[in-house]
Amino acid sequence: MARELLNIKGLKVNIDDKEILKGLDLNINKGEIHIIMGPNGSGKSTLAYTLMGHPKYEITDGTIEFDGELINEMKADERAKKGIFLSFQYPEEIPGVTVEDFLRTAKTSVTGKMQGIMAFKKLLKEKMDLLEMKEEYASRYLNLGFSGGEKKKNEILQMSILEPKLAILDETDSGLDVDAIRIVAEGVKRIKDESRSILVITHYNKLLDYLEPDYIHILLDGKIVKTGGMELAKEIDEEGYENIKLRYSHI
Amino acid sequence: MITWKRIKLENFSFPKIYDYKKEFIRLEEELPLGIRLDKIYDTVDKTKINWLNTSEGNGLGKEFISFVNEFYNSGVSLYLERNSLIEKPIVVEFNMDKENPTVVDKNIIVAEPNSQATIVFDYSTDEGVEAFHNGFTEIHAGENSSLTIIKVQRMNDISQNFDTNIAYVKGEGKVNWITAELGSQISGSNFTTFLDEVASESNLSSIYLGDGHRKMDLSYSMIHKGPRSISNIESRGALMDNAKKVFRGNLDFKRGSRLAKGGEEEYVLLLDPTVKSDSIPALLCEEDDVQGEHAASAGQINENQLFYLMSRGLSEREAKKLIIEGAFRPVIDRIPLEELKQIIDSEIERRLVNA
Amino acid sequence: MERKKTYIEDIDRGIYDIKNEFTYKYKADKGLTPEIVKEISKEKNEPKWMTDFRLKSLEIYNSMPIPTWGPDLSDLNIEDIVTYIRPDAEMKHSWDDVPEEIKKTFELLGLPQAERESLAGVGAQYDSEVVYHNIRKELVDQGVVYMDMETALIEYEDIVREYFMTLVPPTAHKFAALHGAVWSGGSFVYVPEGVDVDIPLQSYFRLNAPGAGQFEHTLIIVEKGSRLHFIEGCSAPKYKVNNLHAGCVELFVKENATLRYSTIENWSKNMYNLNTKRAVVDKNGTIEWVSGSFGSKVSMLYPMSILKGEGARSEFTGITFASQGQHLDTGTKVVHAAPYTTSTVNSKSISKDGGYAFYRGLLKVAPNAYGCKSTVSCESLMLDNKSKSDTLPIIELNNDNIDIGHEAKIGRISDEAIFYLMSRGISEEEAKAMIVRGFVEPITKELPLEYAVELNNLINIELEGTIG
Repeated sequence: MARELLNIKGLKVNIDDKEILKGLDLNINKGEIHIIMGPNGSGKSTLAYTLMGHPKYEITDGTIEFDGELINEMKADERAKKGIFLSFQYPEEIPGVTVEDFLRTAKTSVTGKMQGIMAFKKLLKEKMDLLEMKEEYASRYLNLGFSGGEKKKNEILQMSILEPKLAILDETDSGLDVDAIRIVAEGVKRIKDESRSILVITHYNKLLDYLEPDYIHILLDGKIVKTGGMELAKEIDEEGYENIKLRYSHI
Repeated sequence: MITWKRIKLENFSFPKIYDYKKEFIRLEEELPLGIRLDKIYDTVDKTKINWLNTSEGNGLGKEFISFVNEFYNSGVSLYLERNSLIEKPIVVEFNMDKENPTVVDKNIIVAEPNSQATIVFDYSTDEGVEAFHNGFTEIHAGENSSLTIIKVQRMNDISQNFDTNIAYVKGEGKVNWITAELGSQISGSNFTTFLDEVASESNLSSIYLGDGHRKMDLSYSMIHKGPRSISNIESRGALMDNAKKVFRGNLDFKRGSRLAKGGEEEYVLLLDPTVKSDSIPALLCEEDDVQGEHAASAGQINENQLFYLMSRGLSEREAKKLIIEGAFRPVIDRIPLEELKQIIDSEIERRLVNA
Repeated sequence: MERKKTYIEDIDRGIYDIKNEFTYKYKADKGLTPEIVKEISKEKNEPKWMTDFRLKSLEIYNSMPIPTWGPDLSDLNIEDIVTYIRPDAEMKHSWDDVPEEIKKTFELLGLPQAERESLAGVGAQYDSEVVYHNIRKELVDQGVVYMDMETALIEYEDIVREYFMTLVPPTAHKFAALHGAVWSGGSFVYVPEGVDVDIPLQSYFRLNAPGAGQFEHTLIIVEKGSRLHFIEGCSAPKYKVNNLHAGCVELFVKENATLRYSTIENWSKNMYNLNTKRAVVDKNGTIEWVSGSFGSKVSMLYPMSILKGEGARSEFTGITFASQGQHLDTGTKVVHAAPYTTSTVNSKSISKDGGYAFYRGLLKVAPNAYGCKSTVSCESLMLDNKSKSDTLPIIELNNDNIDIGHEAKIGRISDEAIFYLMSRGISEEEAKAMIVRGFVEPITKELPLEYAVELNNLINIELEGTIG
């Protein structure tokens, strides 16, 4: 079995004719945790949206292979079915659609199997308990009136229900208090195993204390300029992005 | 004969119009090159006036506009050449007195691409003069031009005021309207903006004060034709005594106005049980990819605020005045003339406190 | 029974488009004269005051102009619309006694099934006459009356005379006058003081004959402290000729009483639906309107709540779905005529495929209605740029001691919301349908289950093929 899960080569991406990603390379193997760190505007969220297939993000060059298949042209729902999951930085609010109905529809679609109402209820309750979410959230409208922390937990809940092969967490730690970060991190760790991988995209390193990443990448101006281990996070923490920029921007 | 149901104007006919003999253009300094400001009857060449496309927009109604075109006794024509710019506002002031009791002004402003100017129109009356004003201001804002038009109406309580304003805005051009309606017995005013081309923009800020037996019909229309055009209407008013106002706000998204955005907010403070307040906000839409929003609210002054201020020794009238001024402040602050701001402030004070 | 789909250009409305071959017992001449009106009245063996009322209404009708402020009505030729058609059937109380043809239609529409399952009583009207009315025995024992208007006019003449067209007088507008002249059929409900009718009563109207007008009259009186939920459903197959529906609904809600009036209207798309509905609410009473407008070619429908007693309350929840060839001009009117009255309006509209949805509303606060509160919210969804959607809420305030808030929004389904749902593996089509269903959810959740299901099915039918 091939170890490689995600393989990005020379990826260039435009938004409204402006180039944001400028030739990005990244390899993620099954069972690995990767962290991408970078200052605001470096292209972190663009990478997340591009991997999920947002129509506004136009790939002008390069390839994205997922599980051995080129996915450049795939729509978001097809990618989800292949096992990509994005935890949104700002999850959308959808009035009138309950969390439970939505997730049952999604699960049916991703697995291709009808989800029995009672069995699904049970599964949902189990997963919600693990995330210390109140049962009432199941019958609330999707993200409507949720606090920032509740929205993030709800993203992790969706992830644990859909069981993706690759979970991309876009600034999932922002706006969370210490307790919530711990709960979210545990949720993330539970899903990770030999075949599933995690890609964390973050400005800070709050989640890092809980996860044990295999690799840390620094993203500057649309390219990965440095790859290393935990020591890179420490470097950023101590010196700040301004110094990091000076050090690596020539690359 | 004109009948205007909502402000109970029945069997109205226009009065006799006298010449307006006073100077009405006030210039603090010489105009920069490329800017021409004339009295409208100096530019008698009517064909020049009529080359502009004015077929669209009814303003207060055909009767009022054609009356201006036929009988105007004052007004300005302002022509801004490409890239020209005036830093200081141009002030046009009409003060109606015994000798000059009627103003029928026709104003035309043409802003060529990249030009920029601010023009203030101030309409006032002497005490005891039964004055009449009917005006028509037409604006052509070229590509990337930026015009700010400020209209202050503070006529006395026995006068009549009618005013039509229509703007046509081209690509990335911008027209800002600021209107303060503080006086007259009957007032009808209309501001219509045609956002004709891509990314054209218009903002309208309005404050009004209704006291005594004033009847006002205020109508603001933003007609989106250009893609990505933007409009915003913000209106704040206060009604007291037996005043009546009709607010009409129209956001009209025509087919083709893709990605346009329009917002409209109306807030009115009701200060006496005898006031009448009508609102007719319309949202018209023929294009799916637009965002239009409208919000209106009406109610009394917040009792807790009032109590708080009175506990600090202010009289009820003073406290109310403060709260109303607070509501008007954001709009008044947009007026770039200190002197005019003060005039407005004291006019509000006079009507609220000394009444 | 024949299945004709020749005239259906757009969607398959399935069972709603089935029409029946039927023999008619009596058919009035085209057009309208005092003779016809007298004949209608005579056919029905009406008391003289009703005959006079009809003739007076006809006079008013002839003297009034067709309204010009709303949708275009120039295609509607009253002279061509046969005003009174009575199917060849007497009133039945047992479903088994209803003629086979009529029964088939109603069975296709799921009517008796609905009765068996969850309704307290059912009335069904086929063209001009009510063919079936039934009510549960325990309600009869409590004094609840539910019958067709013709029978009520005989058995409860005094009550009918006291209330009939007092709330919607023939002078209200031209089509109210027409209704006064030619009304036929409809339901009469009387709930005596202190009775809580805990399961809904339902009436179903169906227009079958081509070029026919349906002018049913619904009169509901809910006495002090009582409670009722009434459901009205309407449909008709599509013919080439225009049909007219000018019904009238008068609701009297007494002190402390609550009435919920739900309508799902799915007339065929050649119908002019010019219906008038009004409710008057006494002290601390409540009227709740739930209104779904899906069908008809042209609709002008503005249910009105008159909050007459102190503390009276009204709630309006409405959804309008305008598709190809439809101009649906709907909304609601609320008159706050007493102190401390409250109202909520929650309106949603969807337009697609060239449809035109128009929200027209009036909120009026009388000088003496101090301490009243109202919130109005209008949301419109545009599914493409061939369609139109307008919102015109008029607010008239005549005193200062009030708390009024209004908001309106227009736009389309957000791309970001679609992307979010798609990122969870849901197809684009399903994502859009899900968002639209979510948009109308405030209405569906107010409806009894079988109607909620019907409404969702209608939405799915309407959305099919337009998305992608």
